Amino acid sequence: MIQRFCMHDGPGIRTVVFFKGCRLNCVWCHNPETKGAGQEIYYTPSQCIGCGACAAVCRHGAHVLMPEGHVYDRSKCRLCEVCTHACPTGALEAVSRLMSIDEILSEVMRDKAFYGEQGGLTISGGEPMMHPSATIALLQAAKEQGLTTAVETSGYFDPAWLPSLCRHTDTLLWDLKDTDPTRHQNNTGASNRRILDSLTLADNLHPHLVLRCILLRGINDDDAHIRAVAALYRQLKHCQRVEFFSYHPMGSDKSERLGTPAPGEPAWMVSKEALTEVKSAFWNYVNA
Amino acid sequence: MTFDTAYQEPRPVRLSERTRQFAYDSLHFTYGKDTARTCAVSLDHIPEFEQLSALDKYNAAIFEIVTKAPLRLCEGELLSGAATLGAAIDHMVPATYGGKLLWRSVSHLTLGFERVLTKGMNHIKQELQEALLRHTAPEKIQLVASMIHCIDCLAVWHGRYLEALRQSGEHSEALAHLQQVPFGPATNFFEAVQSLWFIFAFTRLCGNWPGIGRMDDMLGRYLTEDLQKGRVSLAQAREYMAHFFIKGCEWIRGTSYGTGDAQHYQNIVLSGVDEQGVDLTNEVTYLVLDIVEELGISDFPLTVRVNRHTDPALLRRMAEVIRHGGGIVAVYNEDLILEALTAAGHELTEARTFANAGCWEVQIPGKTYFTYAPFDALQVLQHTTLAAYDTRRVHAESYEALYRQYQADLQEAVEAVYQRKNYGSAFWNERAALPCSVVSLFTEGCAEAGLSYYEGGAIYTIASPHIGGVPDVANSLYAIKKLVFEEQKLSLAALLEILQHNWEGHEPLRQYVRHRYTYFGNDNDEVDEIAARILHDFAGMCHALQGRSFLSFPPGVSTFGRQIEWAPLRLASPHGHHKGAVLAGNLSPTPGTDCKGATAAIRSYCKADLRELTCGAALDIHLLPTLVANEEGMEALVGLLQGFVTLGGFFMQIDVVDRAVLRAAQQHPEQFPTLAVRVSGWNARFVTLHKEWQDMIIARAERGALL
Repeated sequence: MIQRFCMHDGPGIRTVVFFKGCRLNCVWCHNPETKGAGQEIYYTPSQCIGCGACAAVCRHGAHVLMPEGHVYDRSKCRLCEVCTHACPTGALEAVSRLMSIDEILSEVMRDKAFYGEQGGLTISGGEPMMHPSATIALLQAAKEQGLTTAVETSGYFDPAWLPSLCRHTDTLLWDLKDTDPTRHQNNTGASNRRILDSLTLADNLHPHLVLRCILLRGINDDDAHIRAVAALYRQLKHCQRVEFFSYHPMGSDKSERLGTPAPGEPAWMVSKEALTEVKSAFWNYVNA
Repeated sequence: MTFDTAYQEPRPVRLSERTRQFAYDSLHFTYGKDTARTCAVSLDHIPEFEQLSALDKYNAAIFEIVTKAPLRLCEGELLSGAATLGAAIDHMVPATYGGKLLWRSVSHLTLGFERVLTKGMNHIKQELQEALLRHTAPEKIQLVASMIHCIDCLAVWHGRYLEALRQSGEHSEALAHLQQVPFGPATNFFEAVQSLWFIFAFTRLCGNWPGIGRMDDMLGRYLTEDLQKGRVSLAQAREYMAHFFIKGCEWIRGTSYGTGDAQHYQNIVLSGVDEQGVDLTNEVTYLVLDIVEELGISDFPLTVRVNRHTDPALLRRMAEVIRHGGGIVAVYNEDLILEALTAAGHELTEARTFANAGCWEVQIPGKTYFTYAPFDALQVLQHTTLAAYDTRRVHAESYEALYRQYQADLQEAVEAVYQRKNYGSAFWNERAALPCSVVSLFTEGCAEAGLSYYEGGAIYTIASPHIGGVPDVANSLYAIKKLVFEEQKLSLAALLEILQHNWEGHEPLRQYVRHRYTYFGNDNDEVDEIAARILHDFAGMCHALQGRSFLSFPPGVSTFGRQIEWAPLRLASPHGHHKGAVLAGNLSPTPGTDCKGATAAIRSYCKADLRELTCGAALDIHLLPTLVANEEGMEALVGLLQGFVTLGGFFMQIDVVDRAVLRAAQQHPEQFPTLAVRVSGWNARFVTLHKEWQDMIIARAERGALL
């Protein structure tokens, strides 16, 4: 997916290209549609008018028009996308699309007039570095067109790619899920050791690093985590800033359309006031 | 005491508590409501009034207005003069005979106020007396004499204010300023502001709705000199100027008005180059932005002339004001407009003086009679080209053939507009019979020609055909092109049949055209090029009319909200809308069809060669408050403005609106008396709009260029 006129994913006006696939399995994932590397189908019942166009073209019996309405049986679906082309309302929609680097770039270049000196391309996901050569090729092509580049990453990828990633990236947006190793393991399904090692490595290679820390109430909003982030920030030489933001259940609408369980609970949201406190605690630790 | 904002933080405070209180009262209708006390003056006592000529009746009316209109001195006000007669707010000359108002007043113009500041009314009177001697025809002599009479009337009104100020004993500074201006030239900044206000208030007192024009150009030189000589501080100047804006709200009554309560066309144009091509941005430019940022006064729509070299600091200041909502600051692409005006035959030095009329219609201020003629290009397509979907009467072998038929029908529509507005038409004759000496007085050419503003006395007499509905014509043609001629899903006759029945029984197909095609406003070249082609053809048809009479017919694009009154006349559309839907405004995307954000909407709009649309073409952009929050939001707004100029836009109005707040205001108007929104070329308090206008604004903000 490509989203234009974004301004919270790096400096200036940006076009964000979302890659599909991520090796982490965060329980709060807010982009569940980009978690799996393969194609998926969105189904939005509120848009369905029960016309039966999908059932007429599906050769696997995944769509059935019952008296009470349309039923989509995902277990029978072969992801052939035929129904998404037949559906007139957009109730059935393919999550992703295969695009060449040139195709992506020409879409990104459409907003060149708005980028100014700061804006440009951001690659996000999923984890862009699950597809390191494509990511790097796209970054390189964007740089050749004079665009600034940003990459949003969890840092969970083979650090051997770091030097070439950093060479073509102006801003590295590093999503730091948690500093606590056990919680990280439990909540994302992976150790954070490699991530933290890579972060140190990236810091040596990259001048514009931004740490983005998601906070979830009752999970990682404790003082020890904030202190650890502050300690990390002090260690890093090139970290421009740290952004704290609250978990938001915006992934649940998308997971509903994907037919998967909702990621997280509204109770995990951190209030505006609590967020302000975290920020001031963070700066106290940094300056201590 | 707070002023409405859509931003997460309150508006900044720079002005004194007293001035802020004055603003608060004015914005809460204290003075607007006061105008209800005296709606108009009566001419009943004038002997043999009915035997008088129209001009003599008018002369008597102006005299009666200046002698009888209530004066208003507000406590602590720094400027004097007030347009206190209620009928003026309803676009009438506030004078009655036998209980009836006699004449409609003049709007859609920016007068030549600059000469009043630099030369003074005494000098202007002298010039008129000289002009009087040059005329021999009695009607010309009478006209110029009437203009002189208006100056004498101004002197009477001025005298009454001087006397009132003397008697109050509390306004000694204001008295001193008013003793110098507007009859003498302004000698300092305060006098210049007073002079401009007084003359503006006088023309409004007599019922007219003029724009102000290039305020920073007119006032900047006085402030620069005063600052250099240490005669005034910036804070003092800001305070003083604030009273101009506060007093300018004296016509708002907070009552329902259909199109809103603030549509008095009191436009101000800021920044840009001077006649020599030098950037004239000065302290006044920034003071105006300071004032509207603090007080949220949306009653003077501001348009900033931006070009490729505009200081990013100014763009940044504009963004900071825009984020508070209310749609106060709009933007002109100066580079493109200068190209458009010179291509239309203006000398570059004159083109550089451009300001606007009404909403954003470009004109040379102080020299121009302006009227426009709107028409609905979508009805041309539906009722003429597609014969109201009568399948027996529509035949098109190909998309191109269909387009050519439309082109011919459009040509006829433009010709009809020309006939309707040209010299000698019923419209023209009706207008020319209206006396309007107060306006002629400040319009270059009238005294020399001995013709009034309405008789063609201005240097330029303009009747601008305004095409509306273009995005929906392009979307309709695009849907037909795809569905019938490319995908061949059904025949044209079959589609027309379906449309004739308002899509009934064909919901899947209607959903298909709505969801499967990407329409104007999403940067889809294929449909954007159709819109560009229509506009190019339309512009060519208008330009071909030039020279057929002394009127000029510069093409423009607008709906100004007419999509509401056109809705019941429109049929079901090929791009999936039912009969009677409220569709696209101005040159903006059809509501609900744009989903790629503001940059894509701007790109779609800019694909037309907007230089050909001399009078202007407006794009409306609506952003969510969260989008312009914080530093990133400011950068984004600056980026949008710069991109708009680079890509060749003409005029863009940006509003920051929260749909939830608008819906709440619709439910509980009493809680939102002052919430301002951009309507279309003007701003209004949301709750004073009639429901269909409120719905239009909510729908526009619904998905819009929002993301």
